[in-house]
Amino acid sequence: MSGNHRCSRAVALALLFATLTFSQASAHCFVGARFLPATLNTDDPCVADEMSLPTISWSRTADMPPATEWDVGADFSKRITADFGISLSETWKQIRGPGGPTMAGFDNLQTAAQYQLLKDGSHELAMLLGLVVDWGSTGAINSGIATPYSVLAPTYYFGKGFGDLPDEAGWLRAFAVTGEVGYQIPSRSFDVVQQTFIPQVLAWSGSIQYSMPYLKSEIIDLQLPDFINHLIPIVEFQMSTPAANNFGNSFVTTGTINPGVIWVGSYFQVGLEAQVPVNAQSGHGIGVIGQLHLYLDDMFPKTIGQPLIGPSTPTQQLKF
Amino acid sequence: MRKFLILVPLLFTPLAPDAARAHAFLDHASPLVGSTVPAAPHEVALTFTQNLEPAFSTAQVTDSSGARVDQGKAQVSGNTMTIGLKAIGPGSYKVHWHALSVDTHSTEGTFTFHVGGH
Repeated sequence: MSGNHRCSRAVALALLFATLTFSQASAHCFVGARFLPATLNTDDPCVADEMSLPTISWSRTADMPPATEWDVGADFSKRITADFGISLSETWKQIRGPGGPTMAGFDNLQTAAQYQLLKDGSHELAMLLGLVVDWGSTGAINSGIATPYSVLAPTYYFGKGFGDLPDEAGWLRAFAVTGEVGYQIPSRSFDVVQQTFIPQVLAWSGSIQYSMPYLKSEIIDLQLPDFINHLIPIVEFQMSTPAANNFGNSFVTTGTINPGVIWVGSYFQVGLEAQVPVNAQSGHGIGVIGQLHLYLDDMFPKTIGQPLIGPSTPTQQLKF
Repeated sequence: MRKFLILVPLLFTPLAPDAARAHAFLDHASPLVGSTVPAAPHEVALTFTQNLEPAFSTAQVTDSSGARVDQGKAQVSGNTMTIGLKAIGPGSYKVHWHALSVDTHSTEGTFTFHVGGH
């Protein structure tokens, strides 16, 4: 190990252990009285200390005949300051064609740097800006899973709960929406192996969710079974639309609509969704995705559940 | 990839678990959230999923005009916060609470209850 590497590791460890400040924390995605869960396809609009391990999905590709695809992913997010965080994501993929070869390996490493623009508790509104990078040549290129080029995606995220509607809106106040819009820019414009242009893509996704915990604690306690009071039924969608440099390729939007449910606990949540392709170019048949998501800020509030630097106070102090 | 694989276990090295106590959610309230009670209660009691820090956990009760109808500082014991009420009549009342769990996680909320035939 070189001296520089030793020094870097020492600094990282020092930062890691220098996290014991006593301040009011509001990490994963609390915005006022609203808790926005980590959704399976759309990143929630908050920097946080959290980990998804694993996220597992099964689907059939758009190929004819369709191949079967398994994805097993892990995602780790860490606040550097109260408003700035980073994420590391990695996915192992296996694509098995009918009677054909099986491709398997790791996709490229993905990182995200995110800045919390706003947390407005009274309006249950959160906004986040991020730069998502798929690092080329960090995955299994030879097996066709990963690409040799990188992709940069400036991304905007938002979340809005409807608890600020008048009381007359009643049960509707338990609804919330989240969304994410990113513009994916590849580091190369032409794939010399496939002899195709590599398009720039508009990636847009979102969710509409109904919070049973919010219904119980903010609107009306129906004294339902405890399990029901922890559920958040949800419909997500994730879409990709080629936007530029797509000569000779289809401009059709592809994606899936994912109805499902998330069970929210104190330290973790479990999500399960169906994946319904929106057209033939998006896949065949209904897939499924499941995720175990850990709230590191609740599990380890005095160590990795704190920002590495400074207090936990968010951009806009939650109002009371 | 190798750096990533090194980094993740490194971050989890200090995972001799903390005495893990999470955000304090409102478990139940008396009067019940959104309920209508026939007679005016003398107090509002809030029970949370975690123990609270008394110095930083508060509650207020207001009537439909926004005037406070509570008797001042809420009493906190363990995971329960109680606040006395002045003599109130039929109407709708809002309870605003702010809880700090003992591991410093902050939560807040507001709910309504009704007295009489509202």
